[in-house]
Amino acid sequence: MSRSFAIADTCFLIDWARYRGRDLLFKLYIVYVPESVLREVKSESTIAWIASKLASGDLALFTETESEVEEARSIMERSRRMPNTPAVDLPEAICIVAGRRRGYVVLTENRGALKFVELAEDYSGVIIHRSLEILLQLQLKRYLEPDCGDPALRFREYEEDTKHLFPRKDLLNAVATIRRELCGET
Amino acid sequence: MEAVEEDPRELRRRFADWGFIESLPPRLREALKYYIETGDMYVASRIAGLTIEEFNELRIRANIPNVA
Repeated sequence: MSRSFAIADTCFLIDWARYRGRDLLFKLYIVYVPESVLREVKSESTIAWIASKLASGDLALFTETESEVEEARSIMERSRRMPNTPAVDLPEAICIVAGRRRGYVVLTENRGALKFVELAEDYSGVIIHRSLEILLQLQLKRYLEPDCGDPALRFREYEEDTKHLFPRKDLLNAVATIRRELCGET
Repeated sequence: MEAVEEDPRELRRRFADWGFIESLPPRLREALKYYIETGDMYVASRIAGLTIEEFNELRIRANIPNVA
């Protein structure tokens, strides 16, 4: 199956670096890593993982152009003028620009980024995937075996490894999908 | 399964190891407090003078959940 191109922000990538099933990400995507994101990584284990995946072609380096950085700065400014919207910082803004210009799926947990593409009509075509949706897709496609005795297990493993808590409502919806689609429950 | 539908800021405040946070040097301490209030790891890492990955390790040591 052909994989989609995606681009990851820093928080997303360092969370996945800690996750026991981190290589499953590449069942779904070839992931671009902006240079600005690469600079944020320091630990030996994360650097080793990234380097090996750059070598295998599962990750690819994304070098931001001046024009892309300029557009990203505009996104940052616009997000700060949107009421009740968390500000978008430069790394996520770069990813949004790549999402709009190149059609890459944006991999981020950033609430500001999610809200921005929801509110900004000229960015409404940008697709954002969070880890929750990716873990769900991995199970639906059977790259990650669900546990029908404990359908929340795969999500909980991610939360334990990364100390990242999913919003309860979204998590319950995902677990309900696992029950319905994979475990034969109505 | 942890209930996380409440305000993320309240969750960060409640889970945080405040004894650990208050024991830190001012720059790291204030960066963690900023993160608890805003959830913005990028800016918090800049306040701390750390990379985002280094700040994330500090966040985990301070038992502050990343809620998103």
